[in-house]
Amino acid sequence: MSFRDNATALSATMGKRLDLTRRALVKDLVMPAVLLAFAGYLAYGIVTMNVPEGTSFPGPGFFPGIIAAGLALFAVLLVVRAVRDARSTTGEKTASGESKRVGVDWRSLAWIVLGFAAFIALLKVLGWIIGAGLLFWAIARGFGERRHLMSLVVGLTISSLAYIAFDMLLGMSLPSGILGWGF
Amino acid sequence: METLQLLGDGFAGAFTLTNLMWVLIGCVLGTAVGVMPGLGSSMAVALLLPVTFALDPTAAFIMFSGVYFGGLFGDSTMGILMNTPGQASAIASTFEGHKMALDGRAAKALATAAIGAFIGGTVASVGVVFLAPVLADFSTQFGPTEFFALAVFAFAATSTVVTDDTVKGLASLFVGLGIAVIGIDGVSGAPRFTLGSPYLFDGISLVTVTVAILALGEVIYVACLERHVTGGPIVRPKGRPWLSKSELREAAPAWARGTAIGLPFGVVPAGGSEIPTFLAYGLEKRLDARRKDPQFGTGAIRGLAAPEAAGNSTTGMAMGALLSLGLPISATAAIMLAAFQQYGLQPGPLLFDRSPDLVWSLLASFFIAMVVLLILNLPFAMLWAKLLLIPRPYLYAGITVFCAMGIYASSGSVFDLAVLLGVGIVGFLMRALDFPLAPLIIGMVLGPLAETSLRDAAMSANGDFAVLVQSPIAIGLYGVLVIVLGLSVVNRILARRRAVR
Repeated sequence: MSFRDNATALSATMGKRLDLTRRALVKDLVMPAVLLAFAGYLAYGIVTMNVPEGTSFPGPGFFPGIIAAGLALFAVLLVVRAVRDARSTTGEKTASGESKRVGVDWRSLAWIVLGFAAFIALLKVLGWIIGAGLLFWAIARGFGERRHLMSLVVGLTISSLAYIAFDMLLGMSLPSGILGWGF
Repeated sequence: METLQLLGDGFAGAFTLTNLMWVLIGCVLGTAVGVMPGLGSSMAVALLLPVTFALDPTAAFIMFSGVYFGGLFGDSTMGILMNTPGQASAIASTFEGHKMALDGRAAKALATAAIGAFIGGTVASVGVVFLAPVLADFSTQFGPTEFFALAVFAFAATSTVVTDDTVKGLASLFVGLGIAVIGIDGVSGAPRFTLGSPYLFDGISLVTVTVAILALGEVIYVACLERHVTGGPIVRPKGRPWLSKSELREAAPAWARGTAIGLPFGVVPAGGSEIPTFLAYGLEKRLDARRKDPQFGTGAIRGLAAPEAAGNSTTGMAMGALLSLGLPISATAAIMLAAFQQYGLQPGPLLFDRSPDLVWSLLASFFIAMVVLLILNLPFAMLWAKLLLIPRPYLYAGITVFCAMGIYASSGSVFDLAVLLGVGIVGFLMRALDFPLAPLIIGMVLGPLAETSLRDAAMSANGDFAVLVQSPIAIGLYGVLVIVLGLSVVNRILARRRAVR
């Protein structure tokens, strides 16, 4: 993996290379896809629901049905609008405001999301202090922090302090993991 | 008189050394979170909610009132010094506030904001003390149909009137409603949308969703998008924070007007304090234009004083609506509601009868919190501003670690962390694609109330939905809603015409 000096350089130029309108269309279709997926999940749940005998109308599936229908409706409305917007802007390139628009920094996204996912997977094994210290490091890294040792030290300090304050003093339970033999 | 007696008892309950300590801790933490970039008062409450679970209810709520108002005091600091408001309700204060800072009057701007927040909050707290019991009495007449009408009102107001884009607002609302139906159905006992997983039987906790949407989503958003769009440099606060007599005379009427504008919005379910802050700002601007020497645009003290007072008086009154009706007006109030429910307390008319000690101690601690916050914020505003100098990577990494800790500690399961991440990603997408987040939270909070009251009403009438529009209170609420919606449509058309011209 090679590291760029300027975290903003690639993401700032990447957007301009792609076709702007197509990019905008894809962007506008993300949320409708999420809405439709959620509506589908609700619909599947309604169909497979075990409704206890003797439940009078409106039963447990009634309100979710309205929600699923609403989600699907809004998704369709958003798709229609996105397609219409994309069509109307294909001819004329809208120059206004494009200079300030910045594409998503995928590297940051990956560091944060994957870092958090790894934290979830390893929390029980590593324990709170090490796990949270590493989470801190990964997030700081997602924000472009380059002094890795420094951020690791800060992270471990914070996670240790949190452990002392909240687990030992306030009695919340945080996993001790591999550091916790005998506790 | 009875009210004063009860409030006195409340003060007696709140004025113990430990409780004072919790107020102080709450105020410090709330202000600190409120000051931080991108984190408003709703985030302060959401982040600190899991931490309070270790406390007993009274101490927890006393601490909460500190956090709740502390976040509001801190909200405007960021807007004044860096021109980037912490949350929507601080936008109106930013216009003139930042100009004052640029003009070398940063310390005075911070003081004006703090005093404004103090006046608005204190007057509202007085309002809550006297109005909440009355409202609670009134709301005993409420049945399922009335509560359903209230919920519909809140849904429509937050997702359409307050947001710029109705479809996006409604989509956001429905996602919240959808998340809320997951779990065992309270009426029939049927497990819903759980895929057979016991983790989902209790549903997805509001705290997890709030922290995911407002905190984790915000962290991802700032990392991937916002930090690449550079904001203005921070103005180092200089000068003395004390206002001169002429400045006080200038600001005083604005504080009063702002407070008066903000109060009624605290009991109207219309999405919190954004509207009143803008109304207060607009009124001051119009009044200013009539004067011989208009000051707006050059850092008018009144342009900052009014919205700040309005915002806090709305938020203070919102606590009244929450305590007496069980109805959260804003996202922040919604999280407070979650806090009550976490302790098995249901805000609403019965709360005053069932746990009067807690309610009156809480109301008394509002006043204590206001005084503490004024002391914390007036002389030390510049110290708080130093928080803005924490390097961003460490600040947001710290926030993320804190979110993870809060969620894990409150549920004790890794599953909730996975939900946190998943919903956080959805929150990031919504934030990046201009979907409003407040409707989602309101939908999630009021969804169960809306569903149960809808079904109760329909079942008691043997499935006849006409029952929903047969009570006078419900008809009144729908009537007001239609008027509000009509006005906002007219407003929008007018604005569009003006834009075309």
